[in-house]
Amino acid sequence: MNFLSKIRAFFLRDFAIESSYRSAFVLQLGESLFGVASCFYLSHYVESAQLDRSLPSGRSYFAFVLIGIAFFDYMSVSINSFDEGIIQARQNGTLEALLVTDTSLPVILMSSAVYPFVLMSLRTLVYLAWGAALFGFRPTGANWIGAAAVLAMSILAFIGLGILSAAYLLLFKQGNPGKWMLLAVSGVLGGLMYPVSILPHWLQILARLLPITYSLEGLRSALLDGASFSALWPSIFNLMLFAALLLPISFYIFAWALRRTKINGTLSHF
Amino acid sequence: MASGAILVENIEKVFPPTHVGFRAFLAPFARPTQRALQSVSFRVSSGESFAILGANGAGKSTLLRILTTLLLPTHGRAEVSGYDVIREPIDVRHAVGFHSGAEVGFYARLSARQNLQFFARLRNLSLTEAGRRITETAERVGITHALDRQVRTLSSGTVQRLSLARAVMHAPSVLLLDEPTRSLDPLAAADFRRFVRDELVNRRGTTLLFASHSLTEVEALADRVALLDAGRLLFCGTLVELRARTCSSSTEQAMAQLIARASTESGEPHS
Repeated sequence: MNFLSKIRAFFLRDFAIESSYRSAFVLQLGESLFGVASCFYLSHYVESAQLDRSLPSGRSYFAFVLIGIAFFDYMSVSINSFDEGIIQARQNGTLEALLVTDTSLPVILMSSAVYPFVLMSLRTLVYLAWGAALFGFRPTGANWIGAAAVLAMSILAFIGLGILSAAYLLLFKQGNPGKWMLLAVSGVLGGLMYPVSILPHWLQILARLLPITYSLEGLRSALLDGASFSALWPSIFNLMLFAALLLPISFYIFAWALRRTKINGTLSHF
Repeated sequence: MASGAILVENIEKVFPPTHVGFRAFLAPFARPTQRALQSVSFRVSSGESFAILGANGAGKSTLLRILTTLLLPTHGRAEVSGYDVIREPIDVRHAVGFHSGAEVGFYARLSARQNLQFFARLRNLSLTEAGRRITETAERVGITHALDRQVRTLSSGTVQRLSLARAVMHAPSVLLLDEPTRSLDPLAAADFRRFVRDELVNRRGTTLLFASHSLTEVEALADRVALLDAGRLLFCGTLVELRARTCSSSTEQAMAQLIARASTESGEPHS
């Protein structure tokens, strides 16, 4: 109960701060429209017989890339929101004030990530809605519950990476270069703009080491093909493996990093 | 150990050296060499008002941060209200209110009330209870007029009061203050001290441990003092005892004599 009320407090705090910048909400809606429009016109430009052969049957490139762009940012939010929480608290001087309350740092970080995830989900829905309303995106027959299951597993896997990134930030005070590398590699190899199958064989093997690959595959199968749970299971299972591996390791490393910063006196340094 | 009492036993704190450039990547693993506190021991009884005196770099803030669980001691142990700062940090933080004296630490675009509501939830106060305590505490510290204004529009003095309100609204048994009046004008500082002494210490029985440079503040608030110099505890007792120890007529003179004597004995120039 306390945990939920703390999550609510963080959500209301972030909502109040965000809504104090009133024009930002409207501008974000506009920005997402331009993003979807770019995908639409780009897909018209690049459509070719070769591309059609690379895409799973019956899928338009626009629908393929729209799902990629709409959901790829879950990975960015998962990886960025935990260390962003620390960076902002350090910069505005609230970190010490937060840490002397009865709330532990892991709970503070988890709660700080809720608002970005909710905002991200709204943004994704807006992307899909623009696509459906103006550019002919038709997710008829989509398995929405299956997509939600893939998304939930993806978020758990990504959170592990986010907590590792926060541990790095605690120790070294600066943003984690590994995080940017992972996001860049995931963008190139994870199937964001094109199917993984068009990559050279050795890059396809590397792509299989990235959670985003299974996430986008599962989401596209669920939303564009209406794949059943049994068809989605390989993606969900692989994401579960990532989560089962990354979450305990990341929590352990984060606890260790927090202890180091309390020993070194660098908790609020930046 | 009584609720509100503080025990500090042989506390030592050694920090690793600061590195820059590529060597900064080794900093988290560097061997600690910079001694900030050396075998500091004292007790504060429940309901007592206790001051930590000392020059810049004496170790006052380090000690307060150990007691708030923001730092881990290198050696020794400390208890607050019977809870160990290393093994029971959440219980310690529940018992403690901390005011760092800094003018930051709030969400500038939220109102004072929204800030207090947020921190009250982190203190496990229910919405109703938080609302009641915020109104009551704001009235006591004199910020009722500012409750619905964004923090970025408030004066430093009002932010200091807001910070005190945040530190005391959950009725902690121990209040830790780090140079609480450093950015207040003399009248506001006197008001602040009156509130702490009359309302918190005398009426509510809160244990007060504060670090200060201001001897006026120490003389107005403290039952006993600890004098720190370069991390060493030079004296612990009442102000009368401090002056008597050095046959001095003023606290300032007594402090200077004790610090000079300690420097001569250790052969180190005083900080």
